[in-house]
Amino acid sequence: MEYLANAGMLIGIYIILAASYNLIIGYGGLNTIAHPIFFALGAYTAALLGIGTTLPSVVCVLAGIGVAVVASVALAVTTLRIEGDYLLIASLGFQLGLLQLVNNFEFTGGPSGLSNIPVTITGPGRGWLYLLICAVLVVVVVWLIWRAMAGPFGRAVRAMRDDELACAALGRSLITMKIVIFAFGCGAAGLAGGLYAYYFQYISPEQFNVAQSATILTMVVLGGIGTTWGPLIGAFVLVALPQAITFMQLPSSLVGPLQGIIFTVLVILFLFVRPHGLVGRREAGVAH
Amino acid sequence: MSEILRLENLCKQFGGIVVADDISLTLSAGEILGLIGPNGAGKTSLFNLVSGVVQPDSGRIFLQGQPLEGPLHRRARAGVVRTWQHMRLFRSMTVLENMLVATREYPGESMLRSMFATASVRRAEAEARGRAMDLLARMGLTQAADSIVVDLPFGQQKLIGLARALMNDGRCLLLDEPMAGVEGSNYETMQRIVRDEAAAGRAVCVVEHNVSFIKDLCTHAVFMAQGKILQRGSVDELTRSRELTELYFGTVEDHADA
Repeated sequence: MEYLANAGMLIGIYIILAASYNLIIGYGGLNTIAHPIFFALGAYTAALLGIGTTLPSVVCVLAGIGVAVVASVALAVTTLRIEGDYLLIASLGFQLGLLQLVNNFEFTGGPSGLSNIPVTITGPGRGWLYLLICAVLVVVVVWLIWRAMAGPFGRAVRAMRDDELACAALGRSLITMKIVIFAFGCGAAGLAGGLYAYYFQYISPEQFNVAQSATILTMVVLGGIGTTWGPLIGAFVLVALPQAITFMQLPSSLVGPLQGIIFTVLVILFLFVRPHGLVGRREAGVAH
Repeated sequence: MSEILRLENLCKQFGGIVVADDISLTLSAGEILGLIGPNGAGKTSLFNLVSGVVQPDSGRIFLQGQPLEGPLHRRARAGVVRTWQHMRLFRSMTVLENMLVATREYPGESMLRSMFATASVRRAEAEARGRAMDLLARMGLTQAADSIVVDLPFGQQKLIGLARALMNDGRCLLLDEPMAGVEGSNYETMQRIVRDEAAAGRAVCVVEHNVSFIKDLCTHAVFMAQGKILQRGSVDELTRSRELTELYFGTVEDHADA
């Protein structure tokens, strides 16, 4: 039972991460790989406040979202003004640098992380209650992103992706749209972090490293970048598949490498066969 | 005629190449000014300077007496709008969507307002839709509203480029080679619309290689070469000038009878 709830929580959390990352990279065309660090900022902020204060857990999670948003705006304002893929480099530096700090500070628990996150919900129904909260939040996040992209904002964003110069010359502020997209996406990652910290009650720096960036990117690419449903399907497949492998009763020394191989094969296969992902358009080639 | 756009001593240099050399110019309401000159004369660069694609090294620009400064989108919001030689339409979008993005005020640019489709966004959208359909009707392109823009014939795409710019409803319209590749009825339509928009009080500046279009449409023209304005005058004066013809075509002898 607890196993199913764990898997469900992971799927929900990864759907939020993949959907918000898809908003940033797929719709916004903002090349960043630092999504896990905003996941981490949400998780660590919520966890530290939960451990160190008596604030209600909802407030701690909201604070985590706030920290992720503030950090993302700071990163976006400083890097997006410069032309070119400066954001990509800066985001990588931001992620690695911040992870180093988390790894070395005492109050973040160093490499061993934080394991004394307080229990908020107890009793036999804990897993299901969390799963319900998570499901509601997934629906809200996905709905908000869908709603924004289906309306006039999404139209302006598509115009920006088609031709930045023409879009700006018609009066649209690209920098504002980019910062808003980035802040919203990173805030959602912060929310996922808060959920993760409170449910699993254990976080450590290695959960937010570049391998995690690759996982979330794979989910988006596999599902279909720039689509509504792609990230959901990508997150589901890439969480469920490794769980399924653990049922095959292979020796544990094989499970890790096998998952790595399957991930890599999937990405290469998809780049050849379905470059637009599972729900994306079928034809191969570069989108114009 | 009231002055809309004034350029004062604009200079711009890229490395050793001078694209604007002390350019001063005024453009009045109702006027259609032609900008002619050989390739590389700095005609499109002048549009880039006015619309904000590049910033001048020195000199100033005024729109209706107010300094026109800052990034592209601010200038568009102030009412300077341009088209592009290569159209730069939003390729993945329909004709109507292309046009709806181009309104001067666009409440949907706010993600929150867009998400919750507040009444004001819906009103603005409905109003813009109405204006877009009116413009398309004037161009005889009503039935193309929901086509993906790149599926249209080239001449119609050029018209959509103009229609999109007109959604801005700005006082100053900069048209970069509107006639290149446009023939037949689309040619007539382009002329009619540009003329009507000027008559409605817009100041229009046209870069064009098609001299007969300039002759038909413009009362005055400016001849540019190597980033300088060499002469301003009536189109007839400019095209009769032996010196300018030589600059334009290379040699006079080959075209003496033209």
